[in-house]
Amino acid sequence: MNYFFKSAITGAFLLGTLSVNAQDLVRKIPADAMAVATIKGNNFLELMSVEEFNSTFFGKEMFKKLKEEQNKSNYASVEDFGFNLASSFYYYNQTNDSVSYNCFLAPVKNAAQLDKLFGESGKKIITNGKQRTFFNADSTKIARWDDEMFLMVLADGRSAYFDRPEIRQRFGMSVLELPQEAVSVDSTATVTDATMDVTNVEPAVEEPKQKVRSKKKSSYQSKSKKTKGKGKKTAKKSNRKKPVVRTVPVEEPMVEYATADAAADAAVAVADSAYSSVEYQDSPYYKDKIIQKSIVARWSTKILDEAFAGTNQGSILKNADFVKNTDPKAEATIWLAGVEKLANAYMPATPYFKGFNFLSGYGSANAKLYLEEKSIRISSAMTFGNEMGSVLRKIQQRKLNKTFLKYVNEDKLIGYMAYAIDTKAYLQEYPKLVSQIYGSMYADEIGMATDLFSLVIDEEAISKVVKGDVMFVFNGLSQKEVSYKSYDYNEENFETTEVMKTKKETLPDFLAMISTEDTRLLNKLITYGVKKEVVKSKNSYYELSIPKSPLALYFAIKDGIIFIGTNGTEMEQIVSNTYQAKVSGRHKTALLGNNYAAYFSPKRLAGKIPAEELGSPSKVEKANKTLNALGDIYMKSYPMNSNTFSGEISMDTPADQKNSLKYLFSVMESLK
Amino acid sequence: MIKRNLRYFILILLASVFSSCFQIIEEINVAANGSGTVNLTVNLSASKTKVASIMLLDSVNGYKVPSKQKIQKEMDEVVAYLRNSPGISNVKKTVDLENYIASVSFAFKNISNINNVNQNVLKKMKIKAVSNSSYTFSPETNTFQRSYAHTKEALLEYNKLKPEVKNVFKEASYTSIYRFEKPVSSSSNPLAKISKTKKAVMLNTGMMGLINGKTNISNKIILSK
Repeated sequence: MNYFFKSAITGAFLLGTLSVNAQDLVRKIPADAMAVATIKGNNFLELMSVEEFNSTFFGKEMFKKLKEEQNKSNYASVEDFGFNLASSFYYYNQTNDSVSYNCFLAPVKNAAQLDKLFGESGKKIITNGKQRTFFNADSTKIARWDDEMFLMVLADGRSAYFDRPEIRQRFGMSVLELPQEAVSVDSTATVTDATMDVTNVEPAVEEPKQKVRSKKKSSYQSKSKKTKGKGKKTAKKSNRKKPVVRTVPVEEPMVEYATADAAADAAVAVADSAYSSVEYQDSPYYKDKIIQKSIVARWSTKILDEAFAGTNQGSILKNADFVKNTDPKAEATIWLAGVEKLANAYMPATPYFKGFNFLSGYGSANAKLYLEEKSIRISSAMTFGNEMGSVLRKIQQRKLNKTFLKYVNEDKLIGYMAYAIDTKAYLQEYPKLVSQIYGSMYADEIGMATDLFSLVIDEEAISKVVKGDVMFVFNGLSQKEVSYKSYDYNEENFETTEVMKTKKETLPDFLAMISTEDTRLLNKLITYGVKKEVVKSKNSYYELSIPKSPLALYFAIKDGIIFIGTNGTEMEQIVSNTYQAKVSGRHKTALLGNNYAAYFSPKRLAGKIPAEELGSPSKVEKANKTLNALGDIYMKSYPMNSNTFSGEISMDTPADQKNSLKYLFSVMESLK
Repeated sequence: MIKRNLRYFILILLASVFSSCFQIIEEINVAANGSGTVNLTVNLSASKTKVASIMLLDSVNGYKVPSKQKIQKEMDEVVAYLRNSPGISNVKKTVDLENYIASVSFAFKNISNINNVNQNVLKKMKIKAVSNSSYTFSPETNTFQRSYAHTKEALLEYNKLKPEVKNVFKEASYTSIYRFEKPVSSSSNPLAKISKTKKAVMLNTGMMGLINGKTNISNKIILSK
């Protein structure tokens, strides 16, 4: 949990410090962004002023690190970075077949401060009117800002694209060694030109690679001469046979802006100086990397040019799903245009994955963070395609068995988890889910297998034994003494004697409830267990004996519920109708209104973890302190709304806390 | 030492990956003429509930969990080997699978017999040596010596283990007891204790120190004449 909070907040503020502004820049995000993360600076400032943040341990630590590790001059306030903290900060990702851009977009308050921040890195900053552009060592990170906005682009050329032979040829990169079949297909196509080619090509192949490459500064022309008049096919082949031929990427239209030239220059120049080894610089891999980076740097510059000139086609504000899922009240939001789309973009480009889509049917998704007065809440939602949506709706038809609540006492428990799915619907729909995933790849085989599944499985019968709703109540931890053999040595002559010693083992204390309709099979199993002396009958409930285990397990079947628990007394009360239940409205609504609900009270667990499990007393104290500082945690899923499945996790903010953000900082501080 | 190289022991140790502690006890009784007896014990009793649950599994963390039959078989092989070793006699083993305690005891004509057994058992089990240890006893000078040299391989092998398995060794202990017919006049290892009768020397240490080479269990014990 602490890691989660730390990462979330660190991420939020790093994002903020890297890329910040006042005027809402959302319009600058392109319509085809695959993912957008938003941080509402203003909402955070309402909860915590800049001064307050600066004096938190986190603020102090950040300034200290900046000074120590990055040699930046003294910063005492997050405002000194030059961003407009009262506005929204964005991260977005744009991915196509050739490149993936990670962009940080932030509102600027004081450009001079940004000049200083980036100027201190010692890297060159190029000024063009009001715009300043910063390049890192190899131009994989380019930032531009003016008086209004800051945009940093971290671009990554995709190897699947840059490995393609025609792309490598176009950009003058060395030829990759291709699998045999790929080569042979090509050579049959050019067989008629083979003799001509060979005469031209052979000397180049025999020469040491470096030599050729060093001479081929203007190789593009020389290659053109050789291949003139041979037609496209031959040109392609000659290049393939000559892994040494390099070209300057003149085919790519040069961006006319002064800064674009600078970008390319910076990429090459800096990359040249980055590696001192001459040998390495001569390697084709290294040269290819420079070419790739300079191409990608030019593309990044184009992104920046368009964003600043406002010439990019369409803004994300034209995307209805994005607009619908933007909540001004949320402190932070993450929105994914389409999970399936995103997964496909990142799926390794190998033939093995062709047609395989385990996220098939997954649409847009979003998660929002709310720091409210009384709770910290993260809500998330995912929209599915029609087919998947209908499957999920059917599966989620079941509600939790109301009778479960008769055996829950919220004063005793530390947490619970309950879920309800319709077993029959699940078994019936399962084949559909499978065929969606494996879809086109093994359509016939999967079709047969799923039919066979339906044939063999009696959905109706199974759903009677296990209806699909389960509740697990965690009542805490208990300790049981166990004995073991050890050796003692007498002082006389260190003679060993075997002795029995005891130690405490920590065991979970729980009760699980499962709805059932048909108990015939279970009854048979119990009878068999009793016969084999694995199960002991205790009148109306049973004890399961597990050899050598100190954990006692009791079970009973009553009112269409299978009870499994660790507490014999509780089981006795359940079967004799003397169990004292207590469930408040909040828990009742959560449990009965949703398909999934979970609750955990860290406070109640505090002090119950045996010291032996944690080790040193200081660890015990720290664990208890942390548990005591945390509020109650609730998780739930909401019923399907059309094709959208949504859920929520929240933690109550203790009453003595001013607000959730300050509370988060205090928890983090106590954990450090 | 034989025990460190016996596969069944190692397998039991690996099987107890979640357990918090185990004990290795090595007892050597040396008579005035240089003959004597050895008793080696591995005790996992303190972790028996965890071992019992692991024994129900086929493998844990990628390590195959040996079955009870397999453990018995491995033990039998070791006993058979020992019986055929020169200078070794009266080989006995006990395997208590209720408490997970295994031990082997045997008599030797000369302490040097143990050294040979050690190396051969090791070869037989195809296990790389994790330490160099040898014993000598000279009735003339009344000197018993255990020479131990830590090998880096022990640490390298240990570092290859998964973190969960590494934890097993953190709480584990190693005890060696040497008993003699004559009183001990000096013991060179500061970690070793001499009994009240002065006829026994005990050294009790954690396994971790042996693995990382921080603990040296070499000892030169001189008996009074």
